Formats: sequence, structure tokens, C-alpha cells
Amino acid sequence: MRHYEVMVILDPDVEERAVPPAMERFLQVVRDGGGAVEKVDIWGRRRLSYDIKKKSEGIYTVVDLHATPALVSELDRQLNLNEAVLRTKVIRPDQR
Amino acid sequence: MAKPPIRKPKKKICAFCKEKTPYIDYKDTGLLRKFISDRGKIRARRVTGNCTQHQRDIATAVKNAREMALLPYTSAAR
Repeated sequence: MRHYEVMVILDPDVEERAVPPAMERFLQVVRDGGGAVEKVDIWGRRRLSYDIKKKSEGIYTVVDLHATPALVSELDRQLNLNEAVLRTKVIRPDQR
Repeated sequence: MAKPPIRKPKKKICAFCKEKTPYIDYKDTGLLRKFISDRGKIRARRVTGNCTQHQRDIATAVKNAREMALLPYTSAAR
């Protein structure tokens, strides 16, 4: 089990109150696989420094979780399959 | 007789070594903005005065932040 930090940029067309349940649905994969979600931080709408998929804004969320490497790559794969996800980044903060 | 221009460069101490920062977070854009120019380029070590290791950490943090559109790759100032 390793500590990961996953940042997700969601489409700005998604409604603000639809964000927490959407994140929960994504993170269910981690919970089902025996991982632990520690913190879900929703930053909310934020201007992008440059356009992604013709969008100039994005909804930022940062998730702290403990999981196995396979579980996180599965989460990342599922996030990238979703149309509402503009971009993701997985980082191990204790690595460095 | 013209004096030869001898410049003694002031030795800067790396801000992160002094503060003992263990990890430079790519999400901390306020901090990272200090290390990029108004054009969005990463400032050189001779400008920032960072040590090798921390300059590298800053560079990777800036690059991560750019990927997540937190910082610009270029900004057309001027």
C-alpha cells in the first residue's frame, strides 16, 4: 500500500453539486479493491492557464489515498475514459 | 587608469535549505510563481540562488503544475 495524491480536472459544464457524488463513484474502485481514501479536496472552479479541450475553466479536485499500484493505475484508466475528466495527475508525495 | 571591473558575486543561500523544506508542492502556485519569469519561463539558478537539488525540485514542480494548467507554458507578456 502506498500513499498517492491524485489530481483531477473536471469539465466546467458539470454542475458544482454533482461533483462530490461523481468523485465518490470514481473512488469506489479504490475502496472495492481494498484501498483507503483519506481526503477528497474539491477546490472548485478555477481558471486554466491555457485552454484544454476548448475549455478555459476547470473544476479541480485533489484526492489523498492509500492503495496498491495496480489499483491506482486502474483508477487513472477509468478517469481518463470518462468524458467529463479533462486531465488527471497521479503523484507520490513521499517519493523524493 | 581604469579599474578592472572585479565583481564579487554575493553568495546566496538556498531558501529551501535554510527553511529545511522537505517537499516542494506543485500545487503551491504562489510559491512557484516566484521562480518563473513574467514570460512563464523557469528562472535560472544564478537568479534564484537555489542549490542544485532544490532548483531541480522547483523545475519538476513547475513542470507538473504546467501539465495541470496551474501555471502557463508561455504567457504573452509584452
